[in-house]
Order: sequence, then C-alpha cells, then structure tokens
Amino acid sequence: MITFSEEKLDLPTGPVHYLKGGNGPAILHLHSAAGPRLSPAIERLSGKHTIYMPTMPGFNGTPAHADVKTMTDLADLTASFVRATIGKGCDVIAESFGGWTALWLAVRHPDLVEQLVLEAPAGMRTKGVGGLPSDPVERERKLYALPDRAPKNPQYDEVLPGNFKASTGYAGGETLDATLLKQLPQIKARTLLLFGTKEEVTRVEDVGRRLKSAIPHSHLSYIYGAAHAVEFDQPERVARLVGAFLERGEAFVVRAPEVA
Amino acid sequence: MKFSYFHLMPWTELDEAPQQWPASNQTFDPARGKELYDSYIDTMAFAEECGFDWVGCNEHHFSPYGLMANCNLVGSVLAHRTKSIKLAMLGNLIPLLNPIRVAEEYAMIDVMSGGRLVAGLIRGVPHEYIAYNVVPGESRDRLREATALIIKCWTEPEPFGWEGEYYQFPSVSIWPKPMQRPYPQILMSASNEESAEFAGQHRAMIGMTLIADLKIAQRCINVYRESARAHGKEPTPDDILIGQNTCIAETDEEAKEHLAAGLNYFHKVLMHSIRDAMRLVVQKSRFFAQEQYGERFVNRLATLDARNIDEMIEAGSVLCGSPKTVIKQMQRIQGELGNGRFNLNMKIGNIPDKVVRRGMELFRDEVLPEAAGL
Repeated sequence: MITFSEEKLDLPTGPVHYLKGGNGPAILHLHSAAGPRLSPAIERLSGKHTIYMPTMPGFNGTPAHADVKTMTDLADLTASFVRATIGKGCDVIAESFGGWTALWLAVRHPDLVEQLVLEAPAGMRTKGVGGLPSDPVERERKLYALPDRAPKNPQYDEVLPGNFKASTGYAGGETLDATLLKQLPQIKARTLLLFGTKEEVTRVEDVGRRLKSAIPHSHLSYIYGAAHAVEFDQPERVARLVGAFLERGEAFVVRAPEVA
Repeated sequence: MKFSYFHLMPWTELDEAPQQWPASNQTFDPARGKELYDSYIDTMAFAEECGFDWVGCNEHHFSPYGLMANCNLVGSVLAHRTKSIKLAMLGNLIPLLNPIRVAEEYAMIDVMSGGRLVAGLIRGVPHEYIAYNVVPGESRDRLREATALIIKCWTEPEPFGWEGEYYQFPSVSIWPKPMQRPYPQILMSASNEESAEFAGQHRAMIGMTLIADLKIAQRCINVYRESARAHGKEPTPDDILIGQNTCIAETDEEAKEHLAAGLNYFHKVLMHSIRDAMRLVVQKSRFFAQEQYGERFVNRLATLDARNIDEMIEAGSVLCGSPKTVIKQMQRIQGELGNGRFNLNMKIGNIPDKVVRRGMELFRDEVLPEAAGL
C-alpha cells in the first residue's frame, strides 16, 4: 500500500494543495468535477509511478484564485504546478472535467505533456447529448456501473456540491469548447482515450469520435463494464491498459510476455 | 411460418459407439469424408430450391456427431452455391473462440452472400468446453463480453481498443464490415430459462432444440419474451425458431421407420460418449449457474433417448410422418409455442441421403404450400 502525502505549493496566483505518492516516473493526475479522489486504479499505478494530484482552486473547500477563472487559466495554473513540482514534462492522466484542463494544457504547453490519457473527458460534448442529471440517484447510476465500487469516503460527499459548483464556474456553462476543438490537431502528445462500454455522460458517438478525429496520435479504447467513472468501476482494467500505454508508448499494442 | 433447413453433418460410418470422449478418429476415412461433405453441401444448397428461408449449420468438436468444427467454412461455400436463402450459422460457439475472428468471418460471409447472414452467437453444449479447454463456469460471462465486442467490431467506424475481463485487444478495425446495417440478425439459444433470459437481454432472436416437453419450452419462451420486453424489444413469432428432428415420407409408417433407425444411430452411436462428457462438465463445473438447470439438461437428453417415435411426436420433440401428418404436428407446436420459424434437421444419424432428399421434395411440394400460411 503506497502512502500519499498531502502537500501545498504556493504559486503566484495562490496556494495549490496536492497529493503525492508512489515510486517512479511522474504522472500528473487531473481530477474530475467531483474533486480529487484516490481511485484503486491510481493506487495500482502508483506502484511504478509517482502520482501528483493537484486540487484545483475552489475544489474541496480550498480558496479560489482571483486570476484563475477559465479553463485556459486552469491549464496555465497546471503548467505552473508541473514546472514547480515535477520540473519537466510528464505523462498526464485526466478524468472527465480534468480532461478538459488536460486538453488545454496539451495545446498551450505541449512541452509539459509527454503522453496523455483522457478518461471520458469533458468539454467536447454536444449540448443536450449525455451530461450528468441533477437527480442524485440517476447521477450515481450514470457515474458508476457498479455502485459497490463507488468511493465511500463521507468527506467526498460533503465537498461534492461545492466541487460541482466550482467546475461549473470554470466551464462557464459550456459543454463544447469550440475554441479548444479547433486547436486539438496541434496536440503532439500520444493520447489514449478511455470510455466505458456503459458510458452515458460523455458518449463515445459524440465525444469519443470528435476527439479521435481531431487529435493526431490518438487511440480510443473501451473499458468493458465501466460507466463514466472508469477508474472506480474497473480499476484493474484501467491500470493494466494505462500502465502498458505509459510504459511502452506506441508499442503498447504489441503484446508483451506475461511475467510469472 | 418460415422454415430453416439445418444440417449437423454427421459421420455415418461407425459400426459401434465410441467408448470414450473424445471419440477416437482412427477409423475416419478422408475419401468417405469428401463424399459426405459433397453430398451434404449439395443437399444444403438444394434447400433453396425447396423453398426454405434459411439454411443452417453449427459447430461441434472432437466427435463423429458432426463434421463441422467451423461452420463458417460451410457458410462460405453456401454463399456461392446459393442466391437468396439466408445463411444461418447456428452458430459459432462464442466463448470458445476469438471474438475478433468470429466478427471477421461472419462479416465475410455476410458480404460474400450479399447480406444473407444470420449470426448465431451460441454458448454451446457443455462438453465442448473440454475440447477447447475453457472454464465452463466462465461460459456465460465470456458470451456476454464477446457479444459486446463482436457488435463493436461490426459497428465502430474507427479503430478501437478493448480492455475487458476475458478479452484484451489494443487495436481493432475489421475488414470487411458486414453488409447488413447496423449488423446482421443475431440468434441465441433459449433452451433453458437462463439462456432465454440472456437472449432477451440481448434483444436477439432465439433458437430452441431437442424439446422434451412443450410446457417447459413454453416457459422458456415466456421468459425470453419478458426479458426482451424489459430490454426494449417486442418479440414477434419470427424471433422464435423451433428446432425439430424431422422425417417426411410418403406414409407415416415409412417416416417412422426411417426416423427410428436414424435416431437409434444418433442416440446409441453418435451421442454415446458425448453424454458422459456432458454429464461430467455439468456435475463438476458451474456451466449452469443454477443446479436445477444442469439436472434438467441431463434429464432432457436421457428422456429423449428413452422415448419411442410416437412418444416423441406426442411430446413435440420431432416432426414425423406423411406431409399431411407433419403439417398437423407443426400446427400443434405452433399453437403451443407461438413460433414463426421451424428449423428442420432432416439428416438424423445415418438416415440415407436419398431419403432426406425425398423428404425435402415432399416438404417443397406438399408441406410448404400449406404450412407457409400457418
């Protein structure tokens, strides 16, 4: 079991709290609108990687930064965070809302993103197609195909309303970031797009196809048996695939011998 | 009513039953095998001339029960030997196979035949899991995952990866894709309530065979209907295919005589060692999630074996007799089960091919004109 430490970094715009843990090359993990949560998938990956998981300003009750108001501001803040903590480009894993940030990061700071894993990313969804319902029961159903695997930490539930509000503030009511979409062909990083076979929030037919056709070196994979929160629904499958992708780059499609 | 002509491609040359499973292939004669394949394929192509809507075949391993380890090879031959009849692969034993290969081969048959494939996605009978060394208790979950993957292979417009429990394929893009859109009709087994529920969940058509009791068959169909409705499909009679061992001759007596001889070879020779292997799998694995279904499966085979022809007719297990008699039997079964399709297996055991062919002619000339209106 890897221990994660809670750390704090002071950036010119304000403080950023983050979790750090694991051993090996750095991975930047960008959280969803639900806020930073250590999933079983990330815990598995931390065996071979050092995970940096920043809490975006305004999430988990942290103070907002006056000069960080938009998605591009968040991407620039994330770039400052990477430079200050990791000190060079790294692999990035991003969940849902974090995927939107990660896409802007890859467009605006290509030197900082080596390989990119986007799990059902936000910001590319046609309005009225998919999305999270306001009804909590229905929302849980769309997030988790296997409710037993949803995170049970009461602290997560307490901060959830505030976190959703913070994400809405950055998104500015948009679901499809047309400016970003135009710039996706500039992304240099090899990108793995992950969608659950039970995904209903950011549908493959809508979001997946759009990203696959726009990002030059992208690869779309289905996680069988997962809904939106793939890291929680199918941690073993996600960790296995992402681990191979990060470790072996384009050769992840070439099967490696199994180690006994 | 629509009709499918089905063939098991049995090996007819055994003098005695194999004593263990898998059956020794020491006496297999390739020259005779060639003759049988030629004859069987001719007969299957003839089904089109006889007015059948589908011609079907399936997959079995390690046994003289059937010479089709891969029915898709037969399907590809039939794609060229026929013009309009649907090619029903009933089907590939999905949990035993590479789902990508199934998607590819089915797509090939569909394209080569101009969109005539009926895609059977079948779990198979228990002993096949020994043949391909697959854990029987995984069969249902493998079928579920493989079905989802096969459909993705047929429908995804761009290369994709698949990370599942049993199957991991990092990069997939099959060529060709099927001609039928969005994909070919899928048929699944509903021979027990577990399977019927599963088929309904997948909104598939269903096939049932080796019926020992019409009431149990009816119960399975009801389970299927409810399950399909719960998953957004209102099943029609066309979605229900009832398989029947069938012998049609000039007279009832003649038909019964041929069927009795054919079934004797089928049960006493072809099925002999299979039965033991099936029982072993059912008893020593979780092939059936519920024990009662395993017991029912084994009992069903024993029941069918023990009955005489008249008892089989009464139970709705076979169609046998003159054309007029067979039409009445079809009417009765349809009345009980509400099916819109019959799947007629006419080469039972070692019934001579000329008898089978005569039965097909009688079907064409005397049964179909009336039975089509059922």
